[in-house]
Amino acid sequence: MSSKHRSNQRKPVKINLNKSLRVWTAVCCLSGGLVASFATLAQSQTPDTDIAVSSYPSDSPEAWLAKMANAFTSLNYQMSFVLLKPGMNAQPYLWRHGIAPDGTSMEQLNLLNGPGREVLRVGNEVSYFEPNVPPYTLRSTIINGPLPMAFFRDPLQLSGSYEFMLVGRSRVSGRAAQQLRVVSRDKSRFGLNLWLDQETGLPLKMNRVDLQGQLLEQIQVTALDVTAEADDYFSRIELAKLPEVVTFPPSPRSSHQWQIDFMPTGMQLVKWDVHRLPITGDVVEYVMLSDGIVDISIYLQPASASRVTEDVLLRHESDTFLSRRQGDAHVTVIGKLPAQTANAIAASVKLVTP
Amino acid sequence: MSQQHENLSALIDGEQHDDGLIDAVSQDAELAAKWQRYHLIRQGLRKELPPNGQFDISAQVAAALNEEATVLAPKQRRWQDLPVVAQVLPLARQGGQFAIAASVAVAMVLGVQQINTQDPTEPFNTTQPQLPGVQGGMSPVSLEQTRPLQQTDMLEQRRRINAFLNDHRQQMQLRTIEPVADEQQAQEQPAQASEDQPE
Repeated sequence: MSSKHRSNQRKPVKINLNKSLRVWTAVCCLSGGLVASFATLAQSQTPDTDIAVSSYPSDSPEAWLAKMANAFTSLNYQMSFVLLKPGMNAQPYLWRHGIAPDGTSMEQLNLLNGPGREVLRVGNEVSYFEPNVPPYTLRSTIINGPLPMAFFRDPLQLSGSYEFMLVGRSRVSGRAAQQLRVVSRDKSRFGLNLWLDQETGLPLKMNRVDLQGQLLEQIQVTALDVTAEADDYFSRIELAKLPEVVTFPPSPRSSHQWQIDFMPTGMQLVKWDVHRLPITGDVVEYVMLSDGIVDISIYLQPASASRVTEDVLLRHESDTFLSRRQGDAHVTVIGKLPAQTANAIAASVKLVTP
Repeated sequence: MSQQHENLSALIDGEQHDDGLIDAVSQDAELAAKWQRYHLIRQGLRKELPPNGQFDISAQVAAALNEEATVLAPKQRRWQDLPVVAQVLPLARQGGQFAIAASVAVAMVLGVQQINTQDPTEPFNTTQPQLPGVQGGMSPVSLEQTRPLQQTDMLEQRRRINAFLNDHRQQMQLRTIEPVADEQQAQEQPAQASEDQPE
């Protein structure tokens, strides 16, 4: 209630915020345990933060996102979070980030339930340790997981396709948090509700919501620990024992000429190849689009080759699955996006025979 | 009855000499079995058990279980489809003497496993036909293209949907291989710049 109230009245907000900020810092200074770590933090981080944030007004959503991106890559932190999706058990994760003495950024994401799944990023090499699969390493700057890491790293590149709004402040995971809303400008994609830690700018909670504001997926941080030094875990890693980097040979392009006329603004072509599906063994032409917040898979099959007969639209967990006949092609679109957008993309596919 | 058991225990411990009780033991089969078990327990406690003791009980339990096996595991459902059961049941068959413990373990493991399983490889059940249309776990999204599926095509349709969903997950997993070359160069420079600043 109070957050809505604040966002409606723009002027008084600043005064309130400043006042409460002062109160908050006072409270912070009184609470003994946290002081040491935050004090060192503040000292070490001020130069970076100033530069990134200074180009925006201090109470703008852009300044907050810049602060988040900065904290994301420059702080030593450890957090536990829980991923909640419909039709699925809660998944607890441990997420650590540390800067090694030589300046290498190291990151670990660990699924804590069941057989587990551990991902370790050292610089630009990401190693995946998963059950039933031999460990492998990919050259990449981000970890693939439940968090939209590409968005966290560089949120402001999305300003063309998403609108950022400051909503209000609340308490999340026992800490003061600033709420932001990330909304698709053309309503072609789902939005995010983001709660950032007031002190550090790190994300504390993230809701993915559909166009009506209904919750689709939730990530809730349960514990956040920011330290001056990187966690001991990172110093124990034996770099020589990490799996070798996997490189994929460029896959053959098919003789068919496809054309996708509609791509939501800000979406980029990430991947385009031909491969076989795991269960059925069907050969498909595959396209991946991404804007950093969502990844969309598009599968193309000539209608003659495809044994698919029916058009299907369904929701699996938070993914939308759309499969439809489009002229001479059969198009399948999967991703966390509204059905209308999936349909618009599928409808824009054309098969141009050479 | 429990008084008799206590007396029996005392007799075995050498604290009581009651000829009537010894007679009772020799006549009552149940008491005789108890007598045997008490001795077994005593030997166990004193670590006097032979290294490979032949315990009658396990054989009896196994025999009893073999007779009941058809009732316990009706074959209507294909248990081979359940990953854990498929692995545990053959084990339970091998060691008849472990059958009871194993079946309890199956229940426990199943319970635990159900909590722990995540990301099923086939989110849509392709094993047995069900009613057409929307099933549990999915919520319908209304769009003109949606039509109820034909019963005959259901399994094939679901297999295909599973294949697509699996592949989508796999592709998400292997993402950022190809943009790395560009992204790396783009991101290395600001990274270096920010590293330089604090020093």
